[in-house]
Amino acid sequence: MIEFILNGKKVSTKVPDDTPLLWVIRDEFHLKGTKFGCGISMCGACTVHIDGDPVRACKYPVKLVNKKQITTIEGLNNEHPLQEAWIKEQVPQCGYCQSGQIMQAATLLASNKDPSEKEIVAHMSNNLCRCMAYSRIKKAIKTAANSTSETVSIFDPALNGQKEI
Amino acid sequence: MNNLNGIKDKIQLSRRNFLVGSVGASLLMAFSVLPGKSMAENAKKALAGKIFSPNVWFEINERGEVLINIAKAEIGQHIGTALARIVADELGADWSKVRIVHVDTDPKWGYMVTGGSWSVFHSFTPLSQAGAAGRIALLEAGAVLLGKNGNECEVINGYVKCGEKSISFGDIVSKGQFNRIFTVEELAALPIKSGKNRQFIGKDTMALDIPSKTNGTAKYGIDVEVDGMVYARPIVPPSRYGNSITKVNDKKAVNIPGYLGYEILNDPSETLQGWVCVLATSYYSAIKAGDAIVVSYKKSPATKVSEEQIQIEGEKLTRDKNAGNLFVDDGNVEQATLEAKINLEASYRTASLLHFPLEPVNATVEFIDDVCHIHTGNQWQSLTMPLIAKALNVTQEKIVMHQYYLGGGFGRRLFGDYIIPAVLTAKAYGKPIKMVFTREDDSRFSPPRSPSVQLFNASVDAKNNVTGIEHAFAAGWPTLSMAPQFMFESLDKKGKIDPFSSNGADHWYTLDNHRVRAINNKLAQDTFLPGWLRSVGPGWLCWGVESFMDEIAIATNKDPIDFRLSLLDGRGKNAGTAPVSNHGALRLANVLKKVRSQSNWGGELGENEGMGVAITYGQERTMPTWIACVAHVHVNKSNGKVTVKKLSLTVDCGTVIHPDGALAQVEGGVLWGLSLALHEGNEIKKGQISKTNLDTYTPLRMGDVPELDIQFIESDEISVGLGEPGVVTVAPAIANAIAQATGVRLRSLPMRPDDIIQFLKERESNKIG
Repeated sequence: MIEFILNGKKVSTKVPDDTPLLWVIRDEFHLKGTKFGCGISMCGACTVHIDGDPVRACKYPVKLVNKKQITTIEGLNNEHPLQEAWIKEQVPQCGYCQSGQIMQAATLLASNKDPSEKEIVAHMSNNLCRCMAYSRIKKAIKTAANSTSETVSIFDPALNGQKEI
Repeated sequence: MNNLNGIKDKIQLSRRNFLVGSVGASLLMAFSVLPGKSMAENAKKALAGKIFSPNVWFEINERGEVLINIAKAEIGQHIGTALARIVADELGADWSKVRIVHVDTDPKWGYMVTGGSWSVFHSFTPLSQAGAAGRIALLEAGAVLLGKNGNECEVINGYVKCGEKSISFGDIVSKGQFNRIFTVEELAALPIKSGKNRQFIGKDTMALDIPSKTNGTAKYGIDVEVDGMVYARPIVPPSRYGNSITKVNDKKAVNIPGYLGYEILNDPSETLQGWVCVLATSYYSAIKAGDAIVVSYKKSPATKVSEEQIQIEGEKLTRDKNAGNLFVDDGNVEQATLEAKINLEASYRTASLLHFPLEPVNATVEFIDDVCHIHTGNQWQSLTMPLIAKALNVTQEKIVMHQYYLGGGFGRRLFGDYIIPAVLTAKAYGKPIKMVFTREDDSRFSPPRSPSVQLFNASVDAKNNVTGIEHAFAAGWPTLSMAPQFMFESLDKKGKIDPFSSNGADHWYTLDNHRVRAINNKLAQDTFLPGWLRSVGPGWLCWGVESFMDEIAIATNKDPIDFRLSLLDGRGKNAGTAPVSNHGALRLANVLKKVRSQSNWGGELGENEGMGVAITYGQERTMPTWIACVAHVHVNKSNGKVTVKKLSLTVDCGTVIHPDGALAQVEGGVLWGLSLALHEGNEIKKGQISKTNLDTYTPLRMGDVPELDIQFIESDEISVGLGEPGVVTVAPAIANAIAQATGVRLRSLPMRPDDIIQFLKERESNKIG
């Protein structure tokens, strides 16, 4: 049995331990915001946070998350400044990649309160948007960065279960 | 040139009465099911009995909420928002109370297709009229409730106001009784607002579908679960047609936990030929089982065909004067050729391409009381439903398709072939199933854009004027395989032509002598299923037309923009037809002039930099979207790398409904065009595309995005399409810019650094030689 914390809740799974985390999140815990795109870690639609780092869930065996903290798009709870910026800049078209884009961008803002254009591109260039809403993704990241003077920490249950946004 | 009438007649809501009636606690408004006067006499009764067949209808409840049903697929174009804005504007609704619902495939919704950049174009007039009829009915009922005359009242923001007094839509609906029919004639006579009186159309708004796409709650086909379902993965055969299974060996799959077995699929519709699928209790087990199972085939001859063979066949066909069917035949090109001082010739190619929507195709299927319920995202339900009926050997009444958000369409989901393995598996296995294609399965089954070859010959007279152009092109035709009923008779009556594979060649340049031959490349057709890919015919035909126009300009020492303007005179057939193509080629000339100043054409450029231009009229002459594009590029002559610094576009799409949504469509389209021009290309090997995932197929990423300057012409003209036309001009504009920067003329898409290096080397050795 593998135990981990999913969006602040302690959970466990008995699936074969080589199962990619993606299918556990989607099909066992029914959190459908994390998407299946390429299955080889190259589109970023399945990006989640494991202990705060961006990880491609489609290739990440569930056995490696034992005792770790996982955050998915649902775990941002509609409270992350990126989500507001995504609406303000009207980023999504089909929207399928956007959970992954937001989760990837969130880890940038967690360590860099004011990323440059170059830093944004470097951090985001492994996330494919097939509708090619790239200009707006860039703009929304800047908008979110400008909305706060601090880095944006992401939900970290280790901090007494408190959320810091 | 009006070659799409067949399909348009099916889609358009012409000649139908409009019904307004109280049903239950709501006010329902809908077009009647039967055309003209043969309809039911009683609106209430017809509405209550659901005798209506609109692509559009809406209702208002006691709380004053306006619920607008959307029969179009949401593929990222925010179509529900645009259509709802049209209704709400005429209705006088309070926008904050407008909701949209994406509907299922009940026949009452009428003909269902989302493609061709048609949705706004086809819906604008009927939706405006429907909104206006609703407004008048509410105004009259509101006036009665307030004890006033209708002519003392107006409708504003969800209220009927008569002087000091006012009553809300919600109160009118709960207190009034409606039973009214607007005849076709009455509808047509309703005053539709002009530009300056509009409240929502052309004004900024937030797209209604966007918030759910920022928090994981937007539901796509792949997110559906039904009780008791098992997972399935298809085993895609080595090519599209003609493979038969000789043996299935699942010895290596049986030990995979959760493996449930396999089914061999027999498909009476013949969409699937040689298919097996595996079943498991989890999708991961299904993936592993699919990798482990060994299926042996008697392979189709198509599995020996390569892209190069298809292209050699295309070259041969375009040079065979007897091949193909006449699409344009003006003047006498032979005479022009004989009298010419110079004859120019060029041949252009495009490679196979994939749509690659990020959500792999999928469908979840369950049979309830003998009815097959399909949960999926699809763009052309009215084409797909008969296909499924054939595969299941049932009538269409036994099938309901439930629509979800589409994780990208780009034309891939017009054809519902990916639903067939799901319904056949569910039927064979006797349980609900969720079938998901892996990315590789999806790519191998996907109908790619066909590779193409186009040959041009131009005649130039002693005065250095172009006197004629002959144009022949060969490719696989999507419509021939998937919807042959929409082909049309050629000018020489030799056969039928695929409109979606020839639009783009009947351009708006005035040429006294112009002949166009459309040729089906049978080798392509027999090898794979050619797909309709975003921007379809114009997407590859404009590549040839606009590159060749530049070659003529260069050969005749003319500025590429001046040269084009000299042919965009709006004479004869290029004068346009009101209202759809009002002013014709002159509007194309207008956007071209605008982009000239917008892009600072002719301004100073850095070393190895160039500017190139291209224009398009969008998807079809009967729905022209006028676009001009200038690309500013830098070419690295040592490694052949092309950097696109800026793309400037001027767009005239008539009335803009949802400005930010319109801009998003063009932004996405333009970057698609850039990606197709420089980053994609998926050659066919052994009868199937060769690059199945992102380790080899490399669409544009964020780092490759150039500066974009996209400007719209302010216009009151009829609204046309925007989903595709943004794609069209980018590749030829880049090729023309590369030519200006370096003298290198690239005639093959995608444009590769190696091609540039090769060209430069050859030029160098020619100089030395």
